[in-house]
Amino acid sequence: MLSNLGIFSIVLTLLISFLLVYNSTILFKKNNQILLQKIINLSLSQLFFSILCFILLIYGYVSSDFSLINVFQNSHTSKPLFFKIAGTWGNHEGSLLLWINILVIFSYFFLIKGKNYNINFRLITLIIQNFLIIGFLLFLLITSNPFVPIYPVPSEGLGLNPILQDPALAIHPPLLYVGFVGSSIYFSAAIASLMTNFKGKEFANSIKTWVLISWVFQSLGIIVGSIWAYYELGWGGFWFWDPVENASLMPWFVITALMHSVIVLEKRNTIYSWVIILCLLTFILSVTGTFLVRSGILNSVHTFASDPSRGLYILIYLSIMVVGSFLAFFKYQQKEIYNFSLKSKETFVLVNNWFMLFFLITVILGTLYPIFLEVLIQKKISVGPPFYNILIIPIVIPFLIFMAIGPKISWIKHNSVKIWPIIYLLILATILNFIIIYFFGSYSILTNLIIISAIFLIINTLIDLKNSFAKKGDSSFSRIISHLGFAFLIFFIGINNHFSLEKDFNLKVGDKVKFENYKLDFKDLSIKERKNHKAIIGNFIFLNKMTGVEEKLFPEIRIYDQPKTLTYEASIKTKLSHDVYLTMSNIERSDYYNIKFQKKNFMIWIWLSAFIITIGGFLRLFKKN
Amino acid sequence: MKILIIILSLSLISQKVNSQVDNQFQMNIYKNIRCLVCQGQSIADSNSDFAQTIKLVIDDKIKEGKNEDEIYEFLISKYGEWIVYRPELKKTNFFLWFFPYIALLLGGILILSLFRKKNLKNKK
Repeated sequence: MLSNLGIFSIVLTLLISFLLVYNSTILFKKNNQILLQKIINLSLSQLFFSILCFILLIYGYVSSDFSLINVFQNSHTSKPLFFKIAGTWGNHEGSLLLWINILVIFSYFFLIKGKNYNINFRLITLIIQNFLIIGFLLFLLITSNPFVPIYPVPSEGLGLNPILQDPALAIHPPLLYVGFVGSSIYFSAAIASLMTNFKGKEFANSIKTWVLISWVFQSLGIIVGSIWAYYELGWGGFWFWDPVENASLMPWFVITALMHSVIVLEKRNTIYSWVIILCLLTFILSVTGTFLVRSGILNSVHTFASDPSRGLYILIYLSIMVVGSFLAFFKYQQKEIYNFSLKSKETFVLVNNWFMLFFLITVILGTLYPIFLEVLIQKKISVGPPFYNILIIPIVIPFLIFMAIGPKISWIKHNSVKIWPIIYLLILATILNFIIIYFFGSYSILTNLIIISAIFLIINTLIDLKNSFAKKGDSSFSRIISHLGFAFLIFFIGINNHFSLEKDFNLKVGDKVKFENYKLDFKDLSIKERKNHKAIIGNFIFLNKMTGVEEKLFPEIRIYDQPKTLTYEASIKTKLSHDVYLTMSNIERSDYYNIKFQKKNFMIWIWLSAFIITIGGFLRLFKKN
Repeated sequence: MKILIIILSLSLISQKVNSQVDNQFQMNIYKNIRCLVCQGQSIADSNSDFAQTIKLVIDDKIKEGKNEDEIYEFLISKYGEWIVYRPELKKTNFFLWFFPYIALLLGGILILSLFRKKNLKNKK
C-alpha cells in the first residue's frame, strides 16, 4: 500500500516536472499572464507531491512498515522514535529523496520570490532546474527506489548502523544537503543568465540570498559533521582529511569564493564571467562529491551508503551537466573589460578567490590523484593528513594577513595604504604569540607564524568592529563577525594542534600509569545492559598532580545486536581550557585494553569560533536590505 | 553474549603487548601509517590486530636505532606505498606535490596581468 502510494507520488512529481518544462518553453515564446499563473501552480503541486513522497517514507519508518525493503534494511522496532525518523535519510535511497525535495523547494521559492526579475530569466532558470530534478527523479526510480516492496513482509528490520544513531549525525545530512543542493538554483540561474542576457548587478541581486543560504547551511553541516566525528569516531580528531570530508569541503571553497565575488558583481558590476564560473562549479562539485561518496570509489570511514552500480548513473548525469553548462558558457559569454586598480577592494576579493582556488586544487588533487594513479600505472598510494598539512598550512599565513588588510581597502581605488599601522600590529601579534608560546612551553616556526597571523587578523578585525559600532547603519557588521570567527578558529586550531597531549597505552585492569604531571588509574570494568546494546564500561581516574584535580572517566565498548556491531564510546570531560578525552578498546586475544588518552586544549573554543562564522552569515541573511 | 565472552575472556594465546607509547616521535610515525584492514584510519587511531602488530614492529625498529625514513622504507617494501599517508617525493608523485603551488603561482600571475594590461592601456 505504502509502496504503491510512494511510487505513485514519485511518478506524479516526475510528470509535473515534464509539464513545467513544457509550459515554460511555451510561455518563453509568448508572454501570457494566465500561463504564468499555471506554471506557478504546477510548481506548487510539484512541491506538494515531492514533499508527500518524503512524508510517506518517514511514515514508513515511524510505523516500522517492513513491507518496504528500504525500511526493512535500515530500521528496527526497538529504535527510539527520533532515530527512526532520522533513519529516513541515513541511507542512500532516503537521502536521495531528501536531495530531490531540496531541489524542488529551492526551485519553487526562486520562482515566486523573483517577481521583479526578467520573466525569461525566471523561466529558463525553472526549465534548467527541472532538468536537474528530472535527472534525479529518474535516478531515484531506476536505481534507488525507496518504495520497493518486499514479500513476504519480514517481522523485524535489520537496524541502523549504531554509530549513525546520534543526534549530530541525524541533522548533519539535511544541513549539508540544503547547502549542496541549494547551490543548484544558482547553477540553473547562471545558465539562464547567460542565455537571456540578464546579467550584472541584477543577476548578482537575484542570486546573492541563495548563495548566502546555501553557504550558511553548508558551513553548519560541515561543523556538525566534524563535531560528530570528534565525539563519535573516538580518535579525538575533528578533521581527518578523509576523502569524504574532502568531498564536502570542495564545494565549500568555491561557494565561499562566490560569496565574496558576488558582492563585487553587485557593487561594481564587474567579473561577471568569473561569478558565472563559480556558480556552475559549486553545484558541479557538489554532485561530484556525491558521486565520489556514493559510488564507493573512495576508501573512507564515512562510506555508509555506497554501491558501484549507482556510480555510473551519477557519472553520466555529471558529464552531461558539466559539458552542457560549459558549452552554454562558451557559447554565450561575452568579453569583459576589467577595470580596477591594484589597490582596491575588488583586488582583495580576487585574492580571496585566488587562495580559495588553491585550497580547492590541493584538496581535489589529494583526493583524486590516488584514483588516477591506480588506473594509470596500477600503483596504490595514500594521501593523508600529512600531505594536506604540509601543503596548506604555510599558505594559510599570507591568507590571514590579506584577510586582515582586505576589508580596510575601499572600492574602486584606495589612495594610500598606510604601512606603519600594519607593522605595529604585526609586532604586537608577535609579542602576544611569544607570550603564549612561553606559557605553553613549546616551539615550532610554522605554528608561531600561524598564531602570529591569526592574532594579527583578530586585532585588525576587532578594530573594524569598534569602527563599525561607531558608524550607525554600517553594513560590514556581519562580515566582521564571520571574519572574527574564522580568525579565532585558526588561532585555536593552531594552539590545539601544537600543545595538545596525546598518549597511547595498553593497560590491564588495575594498572596505573604516570606521565608528565598526570596519573591515570584503570580501576575496574563493569557491564551494563541497555535498551538496544550492552556496554562494557571502564572506570578510570585521572589525576592532575599540579592542581590536585581528580576526574572520573568512563569510556565504553558497546555491543549492538541490531545490526551486530562494536562501537567505542569516548569519555570526554569538557572544560573551558581543555578537553580530557579517553577511549578504550579491547585487544583481541589478550587481557589488555588499548587506552588512548588525549588532553586537547580549547576544543570548545574551536566549535564556538566555527559557529560564529556561520552566525555572521545568519546576520546578513536577516538584515534588511 | 559470544562477543562478550571473546572480549572479556583471557584467551590462551596472550599477545605480547607493549605497555606505553612515550614520545611524540613514535606517535607521529603511527599517524602516518595507514591501518590496511580498516576504513581510512591510521594505526594511531585503530585498535585492530594489524595496527597493534605494526606498532610493535615500529617500536622494535626504533629500538634498533632506525630513523623515520628507514622505517617507512621498510614498511613500504613489505606492504607497498599504500601504507604511508604522506606520499613519497618521487617522480610519479611530483605532480601531486608541486601542482598546487604551480597553480597558486599561475593564479597570482593571472591577477597581476589584469592590472598590467590596464596600465599599458592607460599609458597609451
